Amino acid sequence: MVRFENVGMRYGPGPEILRDVSFVLEAGSFTFLTGPSGAGKTTLLKLLYLAEPPSRGLITLFGTDLATASRHLFPALRRRIGVVFQDFRLLDHLSAFDNVALPLRLSGVRIEDFRQDVEEILTWVGLGSRMQARPSTLSGGEQQRVAIARAVVARPDLLIADEPTGNVDSDMGQRLLRLFFELNRLGTTVLIATHDRGLIATGRSQEMRLVDGRLVTMPTVRP
Amino acid sequence: MRLVLRAQRKSVLPREAGAAPLDIVIAIMAFLAALSLCAVLIAQRTAQDWRRGLAGKLTVQVLPPAQGPTQPALARETRAAVRVLETTPGIFSAHELSEAKTERLVEPWLGKGALVADLPLPRLVDASVVPGMRVDLAALRRRLKKVAPDGYVDDHRHWLARLSRLADTIMWSAYGVLGLIAIATTATAAFATRAGLAAHHDIVELLHQMGAHGSFIASAFDRHYLRTAFSASLVGALLAVILFIVAGGLEYVGLKPMAHLPPLALGMGQLAWLALIPLAGGAIAWATARLSVFAALRNIY
Repeated sequence: MVRFENVGMRYGPGPEILRDVSFVLEAGSFTFLTGPSGAGKTTLLKLLYLAEPPSRGLITLFGTDLATASRHLFPALRRRIGVVFQDFRLLDHLSAFDNVALPLRLSGVRIEDFRQDVEEILTWVGLGSRMQARPSTLSGGEQQRVAIARAVVARPDLLIADEPTGNVDSDMGQRLLRLFFELNRLGTTVLIATHDRGLIATGRSQEMRLVDGRLVTMPTVRP
Repeated sequence: MRLVLRAQRKSVLPREAGAAPLDIVIAIMAFLAALSLCAVLIAQRTAQDWRRGLAGKLTVQVLPPAQGPTQPALARETRAAVRVLETTPGIFSAHELSEAKTERLVEPWLGKGALVADLPLPRLVDASVVPGMRVDLAALRRRLKKVAPDGYVDDHRHWLARLSRLADTIMWSAYGVLGLIAIATTATAAFATRAGLAAHHDIVELLHQMGAHGSFIASAFDRHYLRTAFSASLVGALLAVILFIVAGGLEYVGLKPMAHLPPLALGMGQLAWLALIPLAGGAIAWATARLSVFAALRNIY
């Protein structure tokens, strides 16, 4: 599903943020990415969701070597990835419904066909009564749930989430985690960057730990 | 159902605030483009009128003789010129212009009164050519020389050529102005698109990140600028239509709004050409916005 080989990453002439990072994420795996602030977690996620090219090393995604792949393939690869951004990145002029519907619109799904999916997922994250609300009128936690709903609505092959439960209470955090596990059970590979040790202890998952740009704990399956 | 329709219509770009200056600039450029197009149409029509008026006409000018009594010789040579013309193959009719009419022709330059009456004005013979026939001018000149040695044939070719050049100059100048306006519209649309891209960079980046094709993102921008340019150009073109309708109305009641210019009134058929202005404005803005977005997306990984 995902293979990193000796990947390094620096922004411009600055220091290397990631150094010689190598790992494999098997299809259908559930992985937590941990590490202290500034360890390079967000940068690693950016490489994964094709926001930045690596400075060096090889990344293979869904069997495609990104170094040699045509740029024309990238939109299709990106549509197979659901991303929960740390800063949510919701479009403020669109309602919660329209924000969540966006990945389906981009995939060319007819609105008649995705209406029910969007309503169901918004209800699941507890926003069934706020579908027409603009993000600016929602609380931080509600915005985060819209962002999660948007990331999972198209049932992506790979789900990447950056601190997805940072703004919600523990009950909602557990509920959202169940959503991720359910998605994983249906075949989605999940990678979640988090500081929340309580979250990591939940369920069958593996952990990758980044410290100072280096991977110090490789993915290992936890019972 | 209402929810569904609302989502279907919703653009991924927010409605831009403060875009009125762009609308005004495009409307003014469309107005200028409409004026240029009308100048082309008027120049074409005037050139056609001139050609129609002079083509198929011949004029024989009989000059006063250098020696001897003027009037009897002028009258004799003029009558002879009319007879020669009437018997020339290809000439439909020929008639002498009265002295009063000749004086009216020179009135704009020489004025009128006793002074003009004393001047030895030439006599003019106006002849019409049978449509589609050619007159052997060399033979006509030879025959005229025998009976009216002071007569000269003028087939207006020289004037027609000069008028055609003038009309062509006006038309090409107007086309040049149209071209400059098209370039200015393109530059304006490109500038506006870049400003829009900069203002909505986060949205473009997010859509790109979510796997939107360049055409999806570009269509959000190009539709916006197509609508803006079309409606602003429509306003500019309509203002020009109103201007020419008013000018035509003033001419109809005998008032000439612009001295020394050909009639400004344009028929509905000619005014219909102005419909091209909003179409062209919209198309230029659409294409420019689309190309600008694709160029910007090439710089994103």
